[in-house]
This record gives sequence, C-alpha cells and structure tokens, in this order.
Amino acid sequence: MLNRLRTFVAAVGLLAVAGCTGDPEDGTDGAGGPVRVTVWAWYPEFKGVVEAFNASHDDIQVDWTNVGTGPDQYAKLKTAFTAGTGAPDVAMVEFQQIPTFLILDALVDMGQYGAGEDEDLYAEWAWQQATDGDKVYAIPVDGGPMALMYRKDLFDQHGIPVPATWAEYAAAAEKMKAADPDAYIASFGSDGGWLNGLMWQAGCRPYGYSLTEARDRVKIDLTNPDCEKVVEFYGDLVERDLMATDPFFTADATAALDSGKYWTWAAAGWTPGYVAGSLKNTAGKWAVAPMPQWAEGEDAQGDWGGSTFTVTTQAKNPEAATVVARELFGTSEEAWDIGLNKAFLYPLVKDVASDPAFTGKAYEFFNGQKVNEIFVPVSEKLGDFDYTPFQDFVFGDLLDRCAEATSGTREWDTVLDATQDNVVDYAKKQGFTVE
Amino acid sequence: MNPARTRVPHLVMAAGMLYFLVPLLWIAIAATKSQPDLLSTPALWFADFNLFTNLAQLFREDGGVYGDWLVNTAVYSGVSAVGATLLAALAGYGLARFSFPGKRFFETALLGMIMVPATALVLPTYLILSNIGIVNTMWAVILPSLLSPFGTYLVRVYVTESVPEELLDAARLDRASELRIFWQVVVPMIRPVLVTVFLFTLVATWNNYFLPLVMLSDADLFPLTVGLTTWFNTGQQEAGTRVLFNLVITGSLLAIVPLVIAFVLLQRFWRSGAATGALR
Amino acid sequence: MRRKRMTDHPVAGALFVLPFFLVVVAFLVVPLGYAFWLSLSSRSLALGERFTGFDNYVRAFSDPVLLDGFLRVVVFGAVQIPVMLGIALAGALTLDAVTTRFAIAFRLIAFMPYAVPAVLGALMWGFLYSRTFGPFADLPTVVGGEPFDFFSTDLLLLSLGNIVTWAWTGYNMIVLYSALQAVPREMYEAALLDGATQVQIALRVKVPVIRQAIALAAIFTVIGTMQFFVEPYVMARFAPQISAGYTPNLYAYNQAFAYSDFHYSAAISFALGFVVFVAAYAFVLLTRKRRQS
Repeated sequence: MLNRLRTFVAAVGLLAVAGCTGDPEDGTDGAGGPVRVTVWAWYPEFKGVVEAFNASHDDIQVDWTNVGTGPDQYAKLKTAFTAGTGAPDVAMVEFQQIPTFLILDALVDMGQYGAGEDEDLYAEWAWQQATDGDKVYAIPVDGGPMALMYRKDLFDQHGIPVPATWAEYAAAAEKMKAADPDAYIASFGSDGGWLNGLMWQAGCRPYGYSLTEARDRVKIDLTNPDCEKVVEFYGDLVERDLMATDPFFTADATAALDSGKYWTWAAAGWTPGYVAGSLKNTAGKWAVAPMPQWAEGEDAQGDWGGSTFTVTTQAKNPEAATVVARELFGTSEEAWDIGLNKAFLYPLVKDVASDPAFTGKAYEFFNGQKVNEIFVPVSEKLGDFDYTPFQDFVFGDLLDRCAEATSGTREWDTVLDATQDNVVDYAKKQGFTVE
Repeated sequence: MNPARTRVPHLVMAAGMLYFLVPLLWIAIAATKSQPDLLSTPALWFADFNLFTNLAQLFREDGGVYGDWLVNTAVYSGVSAVGATLLAALAGYGLARFSFPGKRFFETALLGMIMVPATALVLPTYLILSNIGIVNTMWAVILPSLLSPFGTYLVRVYVTESVPEELLDAARLDRASELRIFWQVVVPMIRPVLVTVFLFTLVATWNNYFLPLVMLSDADLFPLTVGLTTWFNTGQQEAGTRVLFNLVITGSLLAIVPLVIAFVLLQRFWRSGAATGALR
Repeated sequence: MRRKRMTDHPVAGALFVLPFFLVVVAFLVVPLGYAFWLSLSSRSLALGERFTGFDNYVRAFSDPVLLDGFLRVVVFGAVQIPVMLGIALAGALTLDAVTTRFAIAFRLIAFMPYAVPAVLGALMWGFLYSRTFGPFADLPTVVGGEPFDFFSTDLLLLSLGNIVTWAWTGYNMIVLYSALQAVPREMYEAALLDGATQVQIALRVKVPVIRQAIALAAIFTVIGTMQFFVEPYVMARFAPQISAGYTPNLYAYNQAFAYSDFHYSAAISFALGFVVFVAAYAFVLLTRKRRQS
C-alpha cells in the first residue's frame, strides 16, 4: 500500500515536501540518553503507572498517549498500519483483537526478546490467547472473569433463591416479574464481549485461528448446540419480557441498575469498580454469586473483557518496547496498587490475583462481601478460547442480528444461522478457507 | 397588522421557540447536576446545584486536558476561518472580475466541488498527509479546512452584484496596483459576504468531528468534539470503565456557548451576505 | 465591450485565483484521485493486495448491505427534507411578514442549534430520548398511552430525523428569510392594494420569487442527507439496531476503520460521491431549465 501511495504522490508531484523527519531509527534522542518508547493505552489512572515505570527505569522512558477508548484507538492503529507510519511502539489491545492485528502484520513476536520467560506469571487462559506456539504477541494485563451480580435485598425480600443453574435463573426471572411487573431480571445489553463471555461459559468454542499454522485458515462454528443454547435461552427471556434490551453503559442501563429495575447483571471481574463509581442509590444492596451453570453441579466459566500490551511492527526499538510491555504492569507493586485500587482492574498476574490483599478485599458496595474470592477461582478455571482475525465483523454481525431479533424482525433461533452464513461469506471473500 | 391577525403566527413561533430551546435548556440544567442526580432527578428541573463542582472537575480531569481542547478548537477554527475567507475572497474576486484561460472550466467545476461529500476526502487526505509526515499535527486539521468552494462561490456572486466595474476602472486609471484595489476598494465593499464566509467556515471547523478524529491521535491536540466524544466513549467500554456523563454534558455546554454568542452578536453582519448565495 | 475589459488583466486574475486553486488541487483533486486509485485494487486479509480494476464497484453495487443503507437514506430524505424545508419556509415567511420583537427572538433561537456541533447535538438527543430520565418518553402516559421508545425500530428513523430537523431548520429558515428580505417590496405592494391576504401574497408572490433559494437549500440538504453519518454513528451507542451498514457513509467508515478494508471503503465513498454529484447536478440542471422556460 505504501509503495503504491508513494508512486501515486510522486506522479502528482507532491513528494518534494516529503522526507525523513529526522527521528533517529532506534528511538534514542541521539545523544546516548534513554530510549523513548511511545505507548497508546486508555486505562484509567494510567498516568501514575507510567510515572512509576519511568521512575524505576533509567535506560528506557515511556511517552504515553490516550488516543481514545477501544474502537477509537483501534481505528487509529488500523489507519497507521495502512499508511505505514504513525503507530506507537507499544499499544494496548484487548484479547479479542489480537488476531485482527496479527493478520495486519502489526504485532512483533516478543518471544525473540525473551518475553517467553513470563509464561508462568500469567493466568493460563490469558497466556494462551496472547501467544501462538512460542511466539509471544501480547503481554496480558487485566481480565474479566464472569460472575453474577444480583440484588441481594430484593432476592431475600421475595424469598427467591440465588440461581445456581440457568434454569433456576429463568425461574427467578418469573418470580421477580410476579413480584414487580416493572422489573427485569437483567438487560440483554448488546455487547459483543458480554455475549461472547456467556457463550464461552456455555462451552461454545465457535472460532479457531492460528497465524503460525495457516495464515488463511479459520474455523467458524457458531451454529453448534453449545452456542445456540445461549442465544435461544436469552432470546426466550427477552420474548417473555423478563429481560430488558437496553445497551449496557448507557444512561438508561445505568439508571436501571441503580433503581431496582434490573435485579441481576452477569458481570465481570472489573465490574466492582465500575458499579461502585456509578451506582449510588443501590450501593450495599448488591452481592456477587458464581455464574449459574448449564447443568447442575458443573463449574464452567467465561470471561468478558480484558486487555494486553503489544509491541507494534512500527516500533523503532522493539527490544526496549518489549521491556515496556512486560514491565509497565508486570510484577510492579506500584503499578498494581494503582491498577487494583484506582483503576479497578482484574489482575491477570497470578500472584497479584491470589494475594490476600486482593482476595480479602471487602467491598462496601457489596455490603462487605469479599467478591474477589468468587472472581479469582473463575479466572483459574478458564480454559482455551480463540478468536477470529476479523472479530469486529463477527461481533458486529452477531449484534446486528440480535438487534433484529429484539426488535421482532427475526426469530431468535435464526440469529446464529444468519451470523454463521454472513461470517463465512465474509471470510471467504477475504480469502480464507473456512472450516 | 392588527393584533388578532398576528396571534396565530405568534403562537406558531412560540411553539417553535419551545422546540428549539428545550434541548438547550436541558443541557444548561443538566450541567448543574452531579452524576447521580443526572440519572435520578427530573430532566428539566434543577437538583442540587453542582455547576461549579462540575466545572472544576471538568478542568481537572485527565490533567486539565479540557482546557487544551478549548484552546485547540479556537485555534483550528480561527486560523481555518481566516485562511479560508482570505482564499475565497481572492478567488471569488478573481473569478468575478477577471478573465483568464481556464476560468470557464474552473467556474463550472466550482459548482461540482461544492457537491463533493467532504467525508469522502478525509481518508485519502489522511494517507497523503501521513506520507508527508504532518498527520497528528494541527496542520493536518487546518490545511484541509482551508478548502471552501462554497465560500468562493458566495464571494463571486456577491462581487458580481455589488462591485461595479466602473469603480475598478477608475482606480486603475489612478494607477493603483491590482492588489491595492482589492484591499482598499473591493474588500470594504464585500465585507458582509466575508463575514458570512468567515462564520460559515468557523462553524464548520468548530463543529468538525470526522476530520480531526482521523487526523489526530494525541489527546493534547484534540478539539472539543473529539475530546468530549472520547470521554463519552470511555463510559462505553468494558475493562476500566468510568462514567463521565456529567463532564461530557458540562463540557458540551461550554463548547456551545461561545458560538451561540458569536452568532447572536454578529447576526446582522452576516445575514445580508447569506442572501447572495441564496439568490442565485 | 465588457468582456474586452476583463481580459485586460489575465495574469492578475489568475494570480488571485491561484492560492485557492492550489488548495483545491492539494485537498480535493489529489485526494479524490487517490481515493479512486485505491478503489481500483483490493486487499483481502488473507491474500494481501492486488489490482482488481472495477471489482470493488461491482461488489458495491451488488452489496445488499450497502443498497439497504442507500435505500434507507433515500426514504429518510424523502420524508425529512420536505418536512424540514416546509417548516423552514413557513418560518421564513412568518418572519418576513411579522416584525415584532418576539419574531426577532424567534429568529435568534431557531438559529441556535446550528451552532451546536452535530456530535454533541446527537449525544444531547441521545440523553433526551432516554426512557428513564429524558423528558419526552413519558409524554404519552399523560393520556394513558404507552411511553415512547425512541430507540425502537419503529421510531428510530423518526428520532434521527428529529435531530437533523432540530439542527438544520433554523439555518435553512435564515437562508430563506435572507432571500425574502432581498425581494423588493414593490413586487407585492400591488397585490396588497388589491386586497390579497398575507397568506395569499406569501404563496403566490413570495414563494415563486425565492424559488431558486429554496432549490439551493434543497440541494445542500440532499447532499448532507446522502452523507448521513454523525447522528447514526453517535446514536448507535443508544440504539443497537443501527447496524454497521445503516447508512452508506457509516458503512464506508466501518469498512475502513473497523474491518481494515480501505480499498472497498474508498470505492463506497467514491460511488456515493458520484451518485450524490450526479443527483445534485441533475437537480441543478432541472431547476435551471424550469426557470428558463
């Protein structure tokens, strides 16, 4: 692409102004000073983490920019890789996006700079998603092991048992509706990561991709029963008006959580921080329980959200950038103090997660419950899960089809069939062989 | 007209005023509320008065970056508007009162340029500017904003209408240079249309979202539209979510006020200019 | 005689136009050319980049998502544009006939939304449409009806149309009002003497006189509508039914920035620009012809 552009611009006669901006190639300031590494990330309270890194490193200094949250930052990364210039050295990337950037040849294998040593530091499922064989493409930071947040006061008041299975959850939803016709058991929040976490918990493994094995081969299996049961279960709750359909994080959904309109939220390890910051009226009335199971006595779990640091192929000094990716959080006590207590991240560093300071933390919002005692075992229980190299398209199409179902223009049991067809069609057009 | 005959139009106008004003009233009221009150108190009435708390938090959040956004927006729109107006004035006058090879073609093309969807240009412009190495600088926002075919068109129409050739000829007989004629004779005569073009391009750049969104990656360089949307989106994400609705609302109010004031103050200047474009 | 005088200073004239011309070349001609160039090749994720000629255009014109989005925008415009311009025209005629202080206040207030950036306006309406704390959703309950769900599929286009109408009616009204102000009073004084009512004068004299201004406002609105992007882009956070291809421009954005297919995105933009251009130009020619006949 870049070469094409050059030819074109030259042809028009504009290249006269183009030229090297004079940055030394290795990222140093040329006078033997520290190597400067640029980082894009949108973690809250990240400034302190950067300061901690810079204070503890003489040879490497981090220049941090927040270019926007999630999709906003990805859009900029993608433009930068299309243009061939403009990407940072280190970029925060969520797990489900790693293959997407891999296939754009945007990520450096940090294994060649020794990042493989970190394997034992991190939760196994996270390390599996961040790596491909012995190639290390990302350093995990935070995750979102899922559990059920519920209004303990309302459940107790109406004598509804906390659901241990999804069948009990549906029964609880009926009882709730009988007790309060305006209430909903939860909202079907139109969120790709959330729905994915539920499918993950149901044992559904719809995607498969490995760049090292075959660049152009991808597995799409959204129509298997483990995936179907999730969508049909939730679709049924929506159709019976037991579940609302407000998108998560909107003012409506936030207000509904805080007003008794929603009684539960299948939430994630980072939720305690989020809800404590934005729900005031119902603080102290919530509690956390393990996720309801599909079969009684099972212990299947899922994850919603989580992110990593990656080194981009435009990094001027990938070795120094690898150090930054590994050590910004890594085992830094100072960084994790900010990460846990100010940014409310769920740590994927095993020692940090199992530290009594984390597991034993009592949350006022949950009436003193030590909720991490529930989240930590979930993370330990999580198994492998793969994503596609075009996950934006998959989530986008899945949510568009779900939106059709919630608005009544599609039957719920055709949602995954339609998504499967669209995704396979898209993948083939992009030159993939689909399994 | 007697009062009875104006009653109906006045009622209609009152309804219209309500329609146009309610959202603005809402944002003015909402800006005085804390985050929890925002979600739990009636939308169009006051709760506890937190405007100053919100303002203080607004200018403190993310190391006071909102102040930068305010200044950036003013600089981008001010410089772009002055530049675009100048270019439009020169070109509009040149097209209206001179003849040169290719003029006909250019004039026809001008009409077409007005119709090119601006968003279609942003992506290729990004790729070109990134090759020259000026993306993620203020120039990446300002330079493309200098393009105002509509402004040039307005000036051309206005000059044709209101600058008599005899006057130019008289000035030429006095041996005034062409540039001097432009500055001292033409510009004072076309001031209304220049104010119009200036305000149109000012608003266009002040309100532009897509161009700076694509061009800039450094939060310190963002204009208000991109910055505030970034904050809004921060509340939409999973890990590490923060809800900043009260800041987005207070920040939006503060972003709107200067333009509203500018328009109310300058409206009598630019209205006469706006008429020219509409006439042809 | 006149023409001869103008050719006396060709160099000066060209120099006056030159700076603008350079900007046009750098930020309009070159980007358009480059977009076209991009659209002639494809880059698939697995296979990389290759020259494909007009394949992207064939794909665009047979892409059901794009065609659906296009149709949606056409339907949207067919309703929203006449409604908005109708209100704007009525307002402009009222302002031209009624000159009280109240009318001046109305003029100022109607214009204010124009000063609100479209993204912020859309965010604002997103909050205002909210079921739980917006002021409008519960209006029907006053008469015992079901509360509005502005983000439901049935109301979504109307909700979006309202945002656009709110933002642009005042602007168009002022443009039309300015055109009316430029109409010499003598043109309808005779009609007044004949005993015509204000409404009759407005419809039979004033509207025909500012026909060109109305046509111009319509063209700009059509161009804006075909590029419909910011409002659905923002509103998608409130209303999940706003799919990736809800409008053609949104689709082009998603193709480039979400799916990394900059080539197809360029083709969509280019095809859209071409359609808009042809439609607008046809409209201009049509209205010109009418004026001449």
